[in-house]
Amino acid sequence: MAFDLEPIIYPIGNMAENYENKRKVMLSGDQSVIELRQVQKKYAPEIVTLEEADLTISKGEFVFLTGPSGAGKSTLLRMLYKAEEPTGGSIIIDGVELSSLSKSQIPGLRRKVGVIFQDFKLLFNKTVFENVALSLEVLGLKKDQLSARVRQVVEGVGLSDKLHRKVIQLSGGEQQRVAIARAVVNRPPIILADEPTGNLDRKRTLEVVALMEELNARGATIMFATHDETLFKDTHRRVLRLKDGKIEEL
Amino acid sequence: MPLGIIFKRALRDIRQNLVTHIMTTIVVALTCLVFIFFSVFSLNLQRIADHFGKELAIVVYLKKDLSQEMIPSLYQKIMGMEGIDSVRFVSSEEAFKRLEKYFKDEKEVLEGVDPLFLPPSFEIQIDKAVYNPGRVRSIAEKLTHWPEVQKVQYGKDWVDRLESFSKAVKAAVVASAVLLLVMAAFVVSNTIKLTVYARQDEIEIMRLVGATNGFIQGPFLLASFLQGAVGSLTAIFAGLFCYEYVLNIITQTELIRSLNIQFLPLLNMFTIVIVSGIFCMAGTAMALRRFLTL
Ligand SMILES: Nc1ncnc2c1ncn2[C@@H]1O[C@H](COP(=O)(O)OP(=O)(O)OP(=O)(O)O)[C@@H](O)[C@H]1O
Ligand SMILES: [Mg+2]
Repeated sequence: MAFDLEPIIYPIGNMAENYENKRKVMLSGDQSVIELRQVQKKYAPEIVTLEEADLTISKGEFVFLTGPSGAGKSTLLRMLYKAEEPTGGSIIIDGVELSSLSKSQIPGLRRKVGVIFQDFKLLFNKTVFENVALSLEVLGLKKDQLSARVRQVVEGVGLSDKLHRKVIQLSGGEQQRVAIARAVVNRPPIILADEPTGNLDRKRTLEVVALMEELNARGATIMFATHDETLFKDTHRRVLRLKDGKIEEL
Repeated sequence: MPLGIIFKRALRDIRQNLVTHIMTTIVVALTCLVFIFFSVFSLNLQRIADHFGKELAIVVYLKKDLSQEMIPSLYQKIMGMEGIDSVRFVSSEEAFKRLEKYFKDEKEVLEGVDPLFLPPSFEIQIDKAVYNPGRVRSIAEKLTHWPEVQKVQYGKDWVDRLESFSKAVKAAVVASAVLLLVMAAFVVSNTIKLTVYARQDEIEIMRLVGATNGFIQGPFLLASFLQGAVGSLTAIFAGLFCYEYVLNIITQTELIRSLNIQFLPLLNMFTIVIVSGIFCMAGTAMALRRFLTL
């Protein structure tokens, strides 16, 4: 898959500065980007998804996250972009303790973390272009500033010919690729992919993995949640398994 | 804050729900029209009361047997009182001349009448800067007790009554303004809420990709400001139109023309537009506070 991302400089604005100002926490390792310390997450006394979990992911790592359905993979990812709060312990992203972030600082975090949602979270009545452009619009970019960039990324996921089609008219696999394009279009340093290949055939799946590897090669830290064991069977990369509230290294 | 994008989004929201937004703007306009009607009424009432109040002179009739030498010292004495603007002496002769002028062509009726039968008088103008009805009364009452004075005349009670009525109307206008504005803000914020409900998915997604509160709320706040401002502007034009129309009819009579009835001053119109916009925006901000902050 051709995915030539020339480096762009986009205005992150005050939000990101706000976020940067929070980078005061001592990092356990200088290069750690995602850190969980004794994190616990219970939805109810009997629904425990994480129990005193520790985890450190370094800058530039590519980590697979696996585990049975309902183990809490999505929940873990949601806590990383502060859509969900842990019931105990602390989470540190890029040096910032998430519980210390005020509401107005959350956008800064989310601009750093590109998320491919398991349920896509696309606007079905909008076009592919509009969906992907949203990530750049919220940064304050105007249409003429973001248009070339959006086209480039949409081309990268092989949807150039559907650029102005409404998402509702696309197949599941195509929608998934729109979700991927939207997550990476603003070049976030951290990418959280929640089952990004769930709806794709073998060929497309391998393309998505290759895309992630390419983004990883360009410096992005990637957390890739998947059921699909074949994706990491022969990999040299780190694989984490979530089971019974524990994170095991495979 | 990217104002261009916010403006575009606000216009898109309005366009996509044009009928509802127009209806809302009309309700705001009607509300403002009620207020404008009351305030034009109050404003003119106040003007009329001021006008009569300020034009009001106290006329002091002196005893006829008063010797001429007393006049200058009396004049000085009156000028020395507090709140006096000017004093003018009207001799018996002058009073008679005025009377002649009044009768104009029928001067004959005054033939054979002693030109000195009218008493001399002082016409006192109250200082406009410090005018109030109470002051007129207290000056008049003091003068009544002077030995040289035969009679004091001034337009007593009805000026006072007009004054206090106009004050009551003014208070009512202010109270109704607040009430009507709250009502307009309520209607507008409810309309905006509908838009927000319709956009909930989009709002959630915008949050997830890092939109700030300002970016999300901006278009809604702008749309409500626009509705408040456009609504009140429409009301002002409608009010102005009615004013011209009604004025054309009633100024057939000299009396009403002399009252010089006015519409709202430009500054008031401007204030109404801005305040209405701000009220509607604040209403929306309050309505959205609960479910637009994650
Ligand atoms: N909002 C919630 N309230 C209560 N329980 C929840 C909530 N969200 C998730 N859960 C529960 O938490 C557990 C973990 O859910 P999660 O979606 O994280 O699993 P997952 O590992 O992503 O599963 P899958 O592989 O099927 O996507 C599940 O048992 C789920 O029922
Ligand atoms: Mg999941």
